[in-house]
Amino acid sequence: MPASVYNKTSSANFQTMKIFVLVIAVILGSFYLMSSVLIPVIISFTLYALFEPATLYLVRHNFNHSVSILIVLLLLVIFGFIATAFAFPQLLDQVGLLQAKLPQILSQLEVFLTRYSSELSAKIGIDLDNSKIIISLLSQFSSLGQSLLLNISDKLLGFAIISLLVPFLTYYLLKDYKSVRNRLMNWLPNSSFELGWLIYHRVARQLQSYTRGVMIQSAVMASICIAGFTLIGMDIAVLLGCITGILNLLPYVGPIISMVLTLLVASAMTPFDPSLLYLGVLVIMSAQIVDNAIVIPAVIAHAVNLHPVQVVLGIIIFGSVFGTLGVILAIPAIATAKIVYNNLYTDILNAHRKTPR
Amino acid sequence: MSNSFWSNIFKKQSNEIQSIANLWQSTPLFNKIPARHIEFLSAKMHVRHFQPDEVIFRQGDQGAGAILVMQGSVRVMANKTELALLEVGDFFGEIALAERDIRTADAFSIGNSTLVYFLKQDLEEWIELEPRLGARFLMNLSSTLAQRLYQVNQLIADQ
Repeated sequence: MPASVYNKTSSANFQTMKIFVLVIAVILGSFYLMSSVLIPVIISFTLYALFEPATLYLVRHNFNHSVSILIVLLLLVIFGFIATAFAFPQLLDQVGLLQAKLPQILSQLEVFLTRYSSELSAKIGIDLDNSKIIISLLSQFSSLGQSLLLNISDKLLGFAIISLLVPFLTYYLLKDYKSVRNRLMNWLPNSSFELGWLIYHRVARQLQSYTRGVMIQSAVMASICIAGFTLIGMDIAVLLGCITGILNLLPYVGPIISMVLTLLVASAMTPFDPSLLYLGVLVIMSAQIVDNAIVIPAVIAHAVNLHPVQVVLGIIIFGSVFGTLGVILAIPAIATAKIVYNNLYTDILNAHRKTPR
Repeated sequence: MSNSFWSNIFKKQSNEIQSIANLWQSTPLFNKIPARHIEFLSAKMHVRHFQPDEVIFRQGDQGAGAILVMQGSVRVMANKTELALLEVGDFFGEIALAERDIRTADAFSIGNSTLVYFLKQDLEEWIELEPRLGARFLMNLSSTLAQRLYQVNQLIADQ
């Protein structure tokens, strides 16, 4: 590469990085300022991404825009009400059942650990102090499990409050989001106006298709697992299916966690039926096959173009910095950052090439 | 009663929309598109003001849509050769409404000018709402691009 081209490339890279860091700082700052309402805002934007096509469909069929939004939201509220009335109590019962079963699941875990640590000690020839390791692991796991379940109960109540705020926010997003967005984009200077819109358009398109794809994917996974678990006679089939669907939001890591959870629930069932262990895994694997063979190619292929290493590292880093929310937002955040950086870089490099030396 | 605060924030003045719609209506891009649809689209367009000699875009920049001259005039140049001098009612950069989004020339504002951006994104959203009229618009766009290509070919043949 000639020296002048190399200089322009590295200078463009440096300038892109400066603007990119500034953009990220502004985004993180906005997230910090909105931290108290961040979850309802994210849920509302998700619903906006999901329901905007439905409102456009109604508008296309000669409905007024505001009426279309009201019809869509009315359907959402009716669906929410039915879900709350029927599924919510059942889910709460199943959380209670899981809480009651937790000691049994832990004792089952203890049996596994005792057996395998003894075998491991015999194989590697080092005498592991099984009781200490097990007591430490179990006490940590037990407190984690209990607090997680208590948290779930708390969050279910918190969810009721959020559900009042979310339809309100979603209505105004569906009604006024584009006007507000246009106003904000008008603040861009003339030199960045078109680039700003191009980046926005690419990011919005990718996030919308990713959000829709992931929601469909989770619903399909949850439905298959609920049906499968019910069919094989697994305890807390609905809750376990829903958890599997939600965990599917986390690629690579989610299916493994849901498989471990399924094994633990199956092993704690009385009377213990070893075939349930295999059947439980079979249900999740079947759902994964449907997911990989049908759902992903149909709804999320090309939604995000990320390398598996980027995905796994992103999940770990975002998870350690922002917790559970970070784990869920890791993929869209990295995909967005990639689009912003690439477009900024292309534009800055073009400007550098046009600048005479 | 309408809320003037919100309507001022979120809506363009109707006379501005009408002026934009009138200008677009006389262009080949909106041939046989009903006036109310042009007004609907005009309300979604973006008005920008440029200073004398301000760069509108440079060759190689990524373009987001077509641009209409609402006030003032614009010089379009490539390799230091003037390609066109555009006045009120003229439009340029329509290639960005088709697939390719790289600007093929430089454009500068000559004096103070007001330009209207018709973004590809707004066009796509409108096509989803009005597929038949969208097809009509795309036919108009393709014949405009073909005509431009014909003119360039003539120019090359004459040299």
